[in-house]
Amino acid sequence: MSDGTTPDLATVESPSAAAALADLRPGQAERRQARRENWRLIRRRPSFIVGNVIVWVWVVCALFGSKLAPYDPLNFRDKTHQPPSGEFWFGTDKTGRDVFSRVVAGARDVLKIAPLAAVLGVVFGVMLGLVMGYVGKRLDNVLSRIVEAFLSLPVILIALLAITTLGSSSWVVLGVVAVLFTPIVARTVRAAVLAERDLDYVTSARLRGESTPFIMFREILPNISGPIIVELTVRIGYAVFTVSTLSFLGAGPPPPSPDWGAQVSEGYAVLSGGIWWTTLFPALAIASLVIAVNLIADSVQSVLEAS
Amino acid sequence: MSRFLLKRLFSAIVTLWLLATIVFAIVNVLPGNIGRKILGPFAPEAEVIAFNQRLGTDRPLLEQYLRSMRNIVTLDFGDSFLTGQRVLDQVLPALGRSGKIALLAFLITIPISVVAGIIAARRQDKLTDRAIVNVGLASSSIPEFVTAAVLVSVFCVHWQLGKAFANPPDGTSLVGQLRYLLAPAVAMAITYFGYLARMTRAGVITALHSDYARTATMKGLSRRQVMRRHILRNALAPTITVISVQIGYLFGGIIGVERVFNYPGLGSLMWNAAKARDVPLLQGAVLLVGIIYMLSTLIADLVIAALNPRIRLEQM
Amino acid sequence: MTDLSERPASSVPAEGAALAVSDLEVVYRVRGVDREVLRGVSFSIAPGEAYGLVGESGCGKSTTAYAAMRYLPSNGRIVGGQVLVSGNDVTAMSEDRLRQFRATEASMVYQDPAQALNPTLRVGRQLIESFRLLGQDKEQARVSALEALRRVRIADPDRVMDRYPFQLSGGMQQRVVIAMALASDPKLLVLDEPTTGLDATVEAEVLELVQDLRQETGAAVLMIAHNLGIIRQLCDRVGVMYAGRIVEEGPSADVFDAPRHPYTIGLLRSLPRRGVRKTERSLATIPGALPVIGSHLPTCVFVDRCLIATDLCREQVPPMVALGNRFSRCHHVDRIGEIPESPPAVPIAMISGREGTDVLELSHVSKTFRQRAQAIPALVDVELDLGVGETLGIVGESGSGKSTLAKTVLGIEALDAGGEVRLDGAVLPATTGLRNADAKRSMQMVFQNPDSALNRSWSVRRILLRSVRKLTGITGAAAADRVETLAAQLRLTPRHLELKPRQLSGGLKQRVAIARAFVGDPRIVVCDEPTSALDVSVQAAILNLLSDLQADKQTSYVFISHDMSVIRYLSDRIAVMYLGRIQEIGPTDEVFNGPNHPYTEALLSAIPNVDGNTRDRIRLDGEIPTPANPPSGCVFHPRCPRAIPGTCDTVEPPLRSASTSHSIRCHIEIETLVQLQKR
Repeated sequence: MSDGTTPDLATVESPSAAAALADLRPGQAERRQARRENWRLIRRRPSFIVGNVIVWVWVVCALFGSKLAPYDPLNFRDKTHQPPSGEFWFGTDKTGRDVFSRVVAGARDVLKIAPLAAVLGVVFGVMLGLVMGYVGKRLDNVLSRIVEAFLSLPVILIALLAITTLGSSSWVVLGVVAVLFTPIVARTVRAAVLAERDLDYVTSARLRGESTPFIMFREILPNISGPIIVELTVRIGYAVFTVSTLSFLGAGPPPPSPDWGAQVSEGYAVLSGGIWWTTLFPALAIASLVIAVNLIADSVQSVLEAS
Repeated sequence: MSRFLLKRLFSAIVTLWLLATIVFAIVNVLPGNIGRKILGPFAPEAEVIAFNQRLGTDRPLLEQYLRSMRNIVTLDFGDSFLTGQRVLDQVLPALGRSGKIALLAFLITIPISVVAGIIAARRQDKLTDRAIVNVGLASSSIPEFVTAAVLVSVFCVHWQLGKAFANPPDGTSLVGQLRYLLAPAVAMAITYFGYLARMTRAGVITALHSDYARTATMKGLSRRQVMRRHILRNALAPTITVISVQIGYLFGGIIGVERVFNYPGLGSLMWNAAKARDVPLLQGAVLLVGIIYMLSTLIADLVIAALNPRIRLEQM
Repeated sequence: MTDLSERPASSVPAEGAALAVSDLEVVYRVRGVDREVLRGVSFSIAPGEAYGLVGESGCGKSTTAYAAMRYLPSNGRIVGGQVLVSGNDVTAMSEDRLRQFRATEASMVYQDPAQALNPTLRVGRQLIESFRLLGQDKEQARVSALEALRRVRIADPDRVMDRYPFQLSGGMQQRVVIAMALASDPKLLVLDEPTTGLDATVEAEVLELVQDLRQETGAAVLMIAHNLGIIRQLCDRVGVMYAGRIVEEGPSADVFDAPRHPYTIGLLRSLPRRGVRKTERSLATIPGALPVIGSHLPTCVFVDRCLIATDLCREQVPPMVALGNRFSRCHHVDRIGEIPESPPAVPIAMISGREGTDVLELSHVSKTFRQRAQAIPALVDVELDLGVGETLGIVGESGSGKSTLAKTVLGIEALDAGGEVRLDGAVLPATTGLRNADAKRSMQMVFQNPDSALNRSWSVRRILLRSVRKLTGITGAAAADRVETLAAQLRLTPRHLELKPRQLSGGLKQRVAIARAFVGDPRIVVCDEPTSALDVSVQAAILNLLSDLQADKQTSYVFISHDMSVIRYLSDRIAVMYLGRIQEIGPTDEVFNGPNHPYTEALLSAIPNVDGNTRDRIRLDGEIPTPANPPSGCVFHPRCPRAIPGTCDTVEPPLRSASTSHSIRCHIEIETLVQLQKR
């Protein structure tokens, strides 16, 4: 074996554009900017900008929905099942409520629950994943088995089951989604921890007698922040996905509330009668929000993984 | 090989046991009166007590748990609380109906998304690639029921191109059934397109940047030869894994799609059972989903082993 | 951009050359900016000639090799110059022509053979494919493939054809890659670090094979390596690269024996050569650091680090000055004699290690790993002692157990029952967690890869401060003071303390790691290949630092390395390990002068030396066995050229004394070894 593993240009000769010179040793000033640079790169991506615009539109709707909507979203009127027109942009539903106002007001529920659920799920998942990955051995075997069992079931199904049992308040939905995301996040974090655990800085910490919690939270955790941030953004997208699916299935906030999923589920019964607007507009609202969140997640991911 | 299968079988049994326990635990986490729930608030108290007695839902939880485990071990999942019918007689036909949609969805989505993924990888960072990646991102982020609802409102209602109700009448011919099943299958196919295309793309890109692809190019092979002989075999393993995992998740998405199309498949059945807290029916359905998931991941592992000699020779 | 007028590119005329590169300029586009990686590289190789390119990380040698095959990353671009292979311009070829060129005229061998072969296809199929490309039918191609394997000295080609790459050892994999490269009888063979990552004895085999094949095929060779010894052994001429330019060129022996460019001079002086020891003198270093890769340099590329630079060097790119059959890209070739023999030849004061008491003793130390109910003995009955202020060098190839030994001593791995590790005479508990604060403070480690050894999200100050608090119990302002003092001792500036590891160069990172180990004035520091991830000029500074610290603090080192000249420079005693067992142990001079264990003998003969090889190479048959399945009797007997049938394969060899402090584990009598190894 000759002079070991010196990273020469050969190691970066693979034709990947962004990574080509990344491993070389650039000037210090350049390195110092790396983090700021990442953030700048993320901000400049078109998908990040588009995603943000859409998300912020919905956030504004969620915060000031009552002031923005032309009508009261809960107000019944005689003009039922009106098709979209200048008066009712998105038409009216079976009790004559304005669909546009209901779509605007419907942003609130999902934007209240989904991000919180994702954050909670990631916090639990990170803790579980750190324990599984670092402490390892028997404990990891047992926990992995349980995580695997959870993963083999569709999230929606267990959530539905849990919510029908526990009742469908916002808090229950939030808690259930968070708990169900925990094993998914834990699996990602565990893999990241396993890659760190055998690095020499961990050995060095053990050699100077650091405690296990110190090594997990102070030594390893900061180094896996990249995958955790990516996981968080991705999870927010899935939380929107899950929460709206649950409310569509009747496991969301109770009926009068103008939740998008619930609106779709009210609307599709009358679809065959040709009344498409009560279904289509809330459905598009859901689609726009999940796509927007995922666009943001995707741009964060591609920049963080390239660096 | 047999050692590998034995290990998998053992872990499958443990996982199934955990699944059954999870379902039992969730349903019973709050004290509730099953009889009251099923018979409704206006049923006379005596009738509810009798009902609970008949089903055994008045027994201590531990006893109920052991009984449900015994039912599972004997592969007789017991009778539905709701209808009193044998669980298997309800679950299996529903699975068959859902299976038709799922199969159709995969037949549509696998070839399209694998080809799209390969094209995107070959045109990495070009316009085609960006388009495929972003369409894939959008398609996989939208919940299935939303896609289904949009499909129904636009194609079935507005343009009258398909049936808004998916359940074909009995005795419909195979081609006739397609007219009913196509819309829900497309709704699911759209969701899976995103995952599969992006995974295929990533796999192909990794393989394109590998040292062995470089060796192949330097040998003087053409791009097409490098792709066919060296890239695809190595690149498709992650895609196969994703497909197998998707088969499990499919039953999450299928609930929404079946609700939109009023289709009496496994998804609708699970929805009804969950609403009614019909424990035996739910356990039966959930375990079935679990078994399907495990079978599909097992098959995927075997296919990957067949493609990758290292896994085949060292782990089996 | 370079000075075309004065360019006598090389002694070989471009038309007849196997490879003629002229004024090659390559840029990489990174974040929208073109970075200059090659700044006008010119050289040519005559048919049948072997030409080496050497230089430190980032100098552009590999880029040059890949540019010659026109295989650059998608962000890389040739922006100037020409590459002629047998008179054909590679840069101007069409896609089809390029394919044909790669299939029939030039081939390449790569750094990492395990990755270079398709993991999912059998070796035979990959090899046959190469011959099919030449138009052979299936049967013909199969015959040719078998023949090709025989040509690279593979004894049972039929069996190898049916194997998958992962079923072959690294040496075998590289043979297969070479066989593939030679399929077309290329006129040009490009080798990019072909033996980096292989064990010394295997490396020697591969190099010998390349040498033989060169004679047989008459192919011209372009060899890329950072190991100067390999280039000297294999190449007729050498080009020394620095920051994207060739700064010196000439016959290998001449360049290495009498360099004519300030950079080459610095590079060669920083190597521990000709058996020099730390007690004789410290190593020379090159001041300053490499220019930022890709920056625009319309000057002499070495100007910032050159001791004889003038304003002229900052204003003009120096021409290639011809000196007989050699060239030096220097404005002041006539003044290179003025370059001071930096650091004065002051020997580092050492106490003689073996006097005084032993700080560390190992008796009957074994370590058995368990994998799937199988016992893997990684260390077998190791006996060692280490004096105060002594350096014990440990050498061995993969599977020798040298890293396991380090981990077991430190308690990262628990040793098997029955063995003892004693610190100052007191038996230590098996694992770090059970050892007291004093034991932890007394034994620290410096790791091979400083990137992995330092927590990348902590600042240097935090890394050191935490160790001070944890190992010495000092807190508050006193701890901060201690960090400052320590940093100053290791020549880290206060500015460095605020940085994250990734903002430091490899050498600085390793300094931080050493500082961390020395926080609590340890008695013993285990160094596991601390310089093998570094360039040679950086290595010299680290070795000097370690010697200085040792002289100052009387620290004892266990120093693991595969580099014999580094071991020789630093160690007072050397232990040679093979398959978890110490085969030979003794004072450095005695180990290098013999008599030796037959394995040591082979190992010493296998190392390519910058000063030319003086020993006849001893071939070792077969491959290094895995510790999971050690041979019976003497574990070395299947490969031992001196094995005695009937004895070595059945009976464990005794430990024989060659002198009071030099022992060899062998069945052969010491006197007989002396006779056999007489040179």
